[in-house]
Amino acid sequence: MYQDYAYLIVGLPILAFVLTIFLGWHLPKGGGFITVLATFAGFILSFGIFKEIYPNDEIVHQSMHWFASFNAGILIDPLAIVMLLMVTFVCTMIHTYALGYMEGDPGMARYFAEAGLFTAAMLGLVFSDNLLQLFIFWELVGLCSYLLIGFWYRKPSAASAAKKAFLVTRVGDVMFLAGIILLYTNMVKLNLVLPEGAYLLQFQTIYDSLTLIPPDQLTWIAVLLFGGAVGKSGQFPLHVWLPDAMEGPTTVSAMIHAATMVTAGVYLVARMFPLFYAAPNGLMIVAYVGAFTALFAATMGLVMFDIKRVLAYSTVSQLGYMMAGLGVGAAMGAFSVGVSMFHLIGHSFFKALLFLCAGSVIHAVGTNDMREMGGVLKHMKWTGLTMLAGSLTLAGFPLTTGFFSKDEIIVTAYEHGAMGFGWLPYVFAIVAALLTAIYTFRLWFLTFDGEARSDYHKHESPWIMLGPLVILALFALFMGMPTQENFYHYVGNNFEHYGVDFDELAVIGGHHVEHAAHVHEPFIIKILPIIIGVGGIIIAALFYSRWKRFDPGMVTSEGDPLRKILLKRYYQNEIYTLWFAEKVVYGIALVSNMIDLKIIDGTVNKISAISVGFGGSLRKIQTGVIQNYLTAVVLGLAVLLILIQLASMGVAI
Amino acid sequence: MIDNAISLMIAIPLIAAVVAFLNGKAAKYVALIGSLVPLAISLQMFQEFDKTSNAMQFVESYDWVPAIGVKYTVGVDGIGLPLILLSTIVSILVVVYSWGEEKRSNQFFALLLLNEVGVLGVFTALDFFLFYIFWEIVLIPMFFLIGIWGGPRKDYAAIKFFIYTHVASLIMLLSIFALYFSYRTPEGLRTFDMLTLLEATGDSAIFSPMLLNVIFIGLLFGFLVKMPAVPFHTWLPDAHVEAPTAGSVLLAALLLKMGGYGLFRIVMPMLPNVSTHYITLMAIIGVVSIVYGGFLALSQKDLKKMVAYSSVSHMGYVLLGAGALSVLSVQGAMFQQFSHGLITCVLFMSAGTIQHTAGTRIISELGGLADRMPKFAVLMMAGFMASLGLPGMCGFVAELSVLAGSYENLPIYVLITIFGGIAVTAGYHLWAMQKVMFGPILKKYLDLKDPHSYEILSMSILVLLIIYFGVQPATITDIMGVAAEPLVEPFIAVAATGVI
Repeated sequence: MYQDYAYLIVGLPILAFVLTIFLGWHLPKGGGFITVLATFAGFILSFGIFKEIYPNDEIVHQSMHWFASFNAGILIDPLAIVMLLMVTFVCTMIHTYALGYMEGDPGMARYFAEAGLFTAAMLGLVFSDNLLQLFIFWELVGLCSYLLIGFWYRKPSAASAAKKAFLVTRVGDVMFLAGIILLYTNMVKLNLVLPEGAYLLQFQTIYDSLTLIPPDQLTWIAVLLFGGAVGKSGQFPLHVWLPDAMEGPTTVSAMIHAATMVTAGVYLVARMFPLFYAAPNGLMIVAYVGAFTALFAATMGLVMFDIKRVLAYSTVSQLGYMMAGLGVGAAMGAFSVGVSMFHLIGHSFFKALLFLCAGSVIHAVGTNDMREMGGVLKHMKWTGLTMLAGSLTLAGFPLTTGFFSKDEIIVTAYEHGAMGFGWLPYVFAIVAALLTAIYTFRLWFLTFDGEARSDYHKHESPWIMLGPLVILALFALFMGMPTQENFYHYVGNNFEHYGVDFDELAVIGGHHVEHAAHVHEPFIIKILPIIIGVGGIIIAALFYSRWKRFDPGMVTSEGDPLRKILLKRYYQNEIYTLWFAEKVVYGIALVSNMIDLKIIDGTVNKISAISVGFGGSLRKIQTGVIQNYLTAVVLGLAVLLILIQLASMGVAI
Repeated sequence: MIDNAISLMIAIPLIAAVVAFLNGKAAKYVALIGSLVPLAISLQMFQEFDKTSNAMQFVESYDWVPAIGVKYTVGVDGIGLPLILLSTIVSILVVVYSWGEEKRSNQFFALLLLNEVGVLGVFTALDFFLFYIFWEIVLIPMFFLIGIWGGPRKDYAAIKFFIYTHVASLIMLLSIFALYFSYRTPEGLRTFDMLTLLEATGDSAIFSPMLLNVIFIGLLFGFLVKMPAVPFHTWLPDAHVEAPTAGSVLLAALLLKMGGYGLFRIVMPMLPNVSTHYITLMAIIGVVSIVYGGFLALSQKDLKKMVAYSSVSHMGYVLLGAGALSVLSVQGAMFQQFSHGLITCVLFMSAGTIQHTAGTRIISELGGLADRMPKFAVLMMAGFMASLGLPGMCGFVAELSVLAGSYENLPIYVLITIFGGIAVTAGYHLWAMQKVMFGPILKKYLDLKDPHSYEILSMSILVLLIIYFGVQPATITDIMGVAAEPLVEPFIAVAATGVI
């Protein structure tokens, strides 16, 4: 019953967008409750559909023709439904929180309109039944992030960050588009005879054709699609937009970093997992880029003082884990989709929580800089404790959600190594886990523990903001344990609905097929993540908490080159913006302009000067008086008409 | 359907033009009615058009100058109909946008109507002679729009526009004459009938390869200049910079489309009979236009000039799609014509509104306008997003069709376009948007406000159309697909026998 209304999952937030943008100005709180209700209705619908399809492990598929050989459709399978549930739920929490957080902002109506559209675009991306539609919503997500990051457009830094987010992800999108076109062309060449209602770029059709497409083409397609995911999900080297994306309101950061946008890239790779699995080296690239990003971003998270920036790097790092989790599927097969998606879902809860807590702190304290905070827990009990819950799970404290999800990725990365696919992902992942625990608790201690380091405002946020925090905190702490096994099973078997034969694909992809014979991990490997997680927390406590034993200055000082590199974020901004964009690209543009003016147009002017060699006489005619031109034109027309008349009277031509 | 629908559609704006010219006071009302009626007729034609047929429909044919085989023949098929719709829609919206024009308003609105007469004639004429007359008629209103209502260098721009495109027209005319004098009907008569002559080009007994190639180059040149394609594009930025807003809109939205229309109507049917090297040539010119045009746009300081170069860049897709010779790519190229026609209107209207409210179009001198012009900012943003190819808007559908349809035959060109063109296109749009609209509002612009309602209205309608055709492209792409099939059919047949 619910599944007949699946389109409303996207339809309602779009309706909310239209209503708030036109009527929001006249409504209390900018009509924000419309967006909240629409998103919550989406959650109810998704949950209803989940209850319908989960018991018998069914899927929902509806499709219609769009134009040419493309279609529009809805596909709700295990992979999609968990995303739908998460996005609608977390967005409901964030929008509710925003009712309090955005109070008093003159652009509130615009905020809730854009937030509604953002939610709609993400949901549309998730339930697409074909790659092109996914791309379309993918771009709309990009648009909304541009609008929301630049929400306070009067601030130059916000306008700049918005542009940066759009352009950097656009670089990835360009690759994504190229991948779609390459895939499309390869499928056209197959001359498939499609059954009624099937279209070329539908996932079912794609999965079916994988064995028919030449492997080298598969690799290119996989690399290009992954390029899109790298842009959207903030993987190295296109992660640079993400930390800047906090110029928008904190709720926007929460949406971008947790529920929507950045998870899209991971979702894409998960959705196209059979293709990556079949593509020689496709998964390896995902694994290495992901694991490297996890470590790389964690290093920068260590040194930032802006509370949101730490969280931003943490997002980049955790996304790296998710990618790595998919990448190590070379060893684990489709099981890894379950593992990675589980981390994605868990991360959405606790990262939304962390951002909203940070927002609550910033809202009260009035600064982003942790050096001016300290001791906030005394004044903001609820915020502090919920944030502690989020931090524990991010650090992978035993029995929290993050513990189950992240450690499973680390363990699968170990198996990936043990089965001879390379140890680097494991090494990166385990080191990053230590850094994660350290920077997370550095953040918590610096903010909430110790003494106040400046004279900030001291008040707790209103309950409309704290309510979502408490709910999210409960999920962040306790969702993992009861659902883990079922989740892996349910999502991991997603591709059985499409008859994907991973054994066959493994041959193309060049993987060993060793099912059942899972590597037996030594005991130390199993408990290492626990040791590292707890150890990291203790290290952070020793440096930054009230039980401080060491001073950070003992490890690093102002002049430390490593620290400088980290603070400068590996000079990527300088390379991308100052050198590549402003020197290379703009330089080419200026040279083009020169060529156009001097050479091409110059030639035109020269030719006209020569051919009208009697330039002097032309200049006399060219008196600039319009009437003269008019006369000339009329004369010409008259001559033409006379000629026609003569001709019609039988004068031979 | 009323008889002589097409003739009526062309005649009414012509009559209205005369009335408007003579009735100074009521000119804009006359212009509104005079462009509303063709719009109604074209919509009715669209309703009654047989969308599955390739044949010419609503054909009217009368002898005009029988002695030399000139006929008045008009008709529409899937190539022409979308452009007719585009012309009637854009024409009336330009009248609405220009509602406040006070300077010599009778002449102004008369010229807008005359322009509509010309383009509608070009898109319906099926006789080469008639085609050429309409083709030349279009030059006149544009010449005067630039020359009278233009900016400081209007004389240079008007003359350059006139001479450049006129030279191209004359070369095209020579080719038409060559066609005309080479062929006699079975009854031994000369004819200017377009379809007959184009069909005859397949007969190698009549046209030697040498002659045919010369004719072909002449025609192609005429259309490339009009589109305009690199390297024949330099008249365009000058014309745009000096033209009044209405002139720019018509120039970019309709006049450029005549070049593309010529490709589909005249060049492509001849392609199978001439050297296949031209396909490569068209693809190269298309890609160079896209990429080079994009970089040129990036380097501009004047907002309107940037938009002008973006036209060059976007029209490159038409050439690329036409050259790639697959149904999807040709259909996409046709849709790009339609879609660029709508989008570029919003862009030029934005540039025009900024010019007459803020007093300058120099990007670096503007800033923070969104603060005082929120409605306008939304519309301009929508136009810019459409122009950079955002899905959900028609530009994306067109470009996707061209790229996806072209990859099989022209993979390298498509890759160059994607990696060299798309990101740069996003770059200059966003950069301009940020500079002009965002950031703190500059002091001198503090008392700006949203433009007149008629400007907002015409831009809003365009944005709605852009979104509608982005979501429901099949409304019009189905017709284009049907029209594209016969154009690429000869090549598919050739490819199947393994000759290419």
